[in-house]
Amino acid sequence: MFDTYSAYIVNNPISSIAVFITVLPLTLTIARRAFLDKSLRLLFCYLAVKLIIDLAMLHYASNRTNNIILYNLSIPLFYALLGGMFYFKFAEKPRRQFLIISIIGLFFFCAWDIVNSNEDLQNMREHRVVLYSKMVEGVLMILVILLYFYEIIKSLQIPNLLTFPFFWVCSGLLLYYSSLIFIAPVIHYAYTWNNTMDLGITEFIPSIFEIICALFFSVGIYHYSPKDYAKQ
Amino acid sequence: MQNSEELKWALLIASLAMLAMAFCMIAFVMYYQKRRFEEEKKISDIEKNYNRLLLDTALNSEETERRRIAQDLHDDIGTMLSLTKLSLNQLSKLVANSGNEKEESIMKKSQSLVEETILHVRRITRDLVPTTLERFGLMEAIEEFIHKLEEDNNLVIAFQSNTEEFPRQGQKLELTLYRIMQELVNNAIKHASCSKIDIVLEIDEEMIGLRVTDNGVGFDPEKIKESNLAGLGLLGIESRLAIVNGTVQYEQPAKGGSSAIARIPVNPVSGNKPEPLHPFRREKVNI
Repeated sequence: MFDTYSAYIVNNPISSIAVFITVLPLTLTIARRAFLDKSLRLLFCYLAVKLIIDLAMLHYASNRTNNIILYNLSIPLFYALLGGMFYFKFAEKPRRQFLIISIIGLFFFCAWDIVNSNEDLQNMREHRVVLYSKMVEGVLMILVILLYFYEIIKSLQIPNLLTFPFFWVCSGLLLYYSSLIFIAPVIHYAYTWNNTMDLGITEFIPSIFEIICALFFSVGIYHYSPKDYAKQ
Repeated sequence: MQNSEELKWALLIASLAMLAMAFCMIAFVMYYQKRRFEEEKKISDIEKNYNRLLLDTALNSEETERRRIAQDLHDDIGTMLSLTKLSLNQLSKLVANSGNEKEESIMKKSQSLVEETILHVRRITRDLVPTTLERFGLMEAIEEFIHKLEEDNNLVIAFQSNTEEFPRQGQKLELTLYRIMQELVNNAIKHASCSKIDIVLEIDEEMIGLRVTDNGVGFDPEKIKESNLAGLGLLGIESRLAIVNGTVQYEQPAKGGSSAIARIPVNPVSGNKPEPLHPFRREKVNI
């Protein structure tokens, strides 16, 4: 069993690092007691869920089993957890309402997309990546982050953004989703059970930025101080 | 095959362009936020300076008005009282020659009332404009103030300084310290029901410290600030200090009473000897 995993990790080092790097922000969240903040608590949940799903996917991939269903189901779940973080950060009610609507909307859209992208839902062996959902998630996430940036510029309540944890979280997410937005629809055609299209270096971009995103999360959480909890 | 290669490049370029935009967006937010904070700081500094200028003008006007009243008292009422006293002296001689004892007694009473009034006018004039401060300096002015207070009240006021020759400071600074000392001592007498007041004046290379301590009932400065009970006196002290970059701190000594410490940066007077301010010369307001 261990040989299978190690062989997979050696053959796919970048995507494997992207899985295990999640442990770093998770550990920092506990060490810095960042879960005291509501938004960072949701980030903690996201990281924990992501680690579990990634490990499960790694397990299936190592055993040459189709794991795409986990990827597809994780899309609305991840967006709900990440969008939920912004629910506690947005000051204006319409933005919070938009978040809730978008979370519910993406859930239904993703369900439709899974059905639309797979002719036979029972056939897990040839289950395919959704065509639009990941891209829609990316667009929504970028929109929410930009709205939040606009809010912090407008409110002028954070004197130094470099020491503000949530700015690092937003920056990490913005980079990750920006790297993914064009690649996401192509994955639907590229990764099929019988035919895998070689995307070259482009294939690794999301994984590289997943690692960068986790590092940004870590920097942000490192800057978190329970003393300043009330100010954030 | 050709299409696949093109797609790969297109994807790579599009993703890199998107990432470049994301980086630019993050950099822009950081830069814009920083710039807006700098602008806000500038505006806040301008507002602060403007408020300081307003306060300075108000206090200058107050001092000018005090001088004007002192001058009017001295020149008009003082002169008239002196002339009245002279006339009464002449009349007194005539009354003395007539030998009427009752008239003589009324005369003496009138003379004593006029003399008393002249003394009162002189005292009010000196209270309005501290001439001793301007002529001899802070230590002498404080000593004179204490002397007068001890005469009028059943109080023990002690004054100490860490130097025998207190170097002369700028006119505004000396007046600020003197007025603050006056306010703190008056507050102690009015509100603290104290029997002893200690005034300590200290100077080092950078700061002048004025400490006024009483053994009265004491007060909690935080509570007073929170409950907006800070009267014009305490606000006046803070306003005066704001103009000369000074600070004030209130303490409650363990043995009881209260203590106020005002600290102001040293501002030695330029030139050898400060120009004395005569109380009866009209001063222009310097803004």
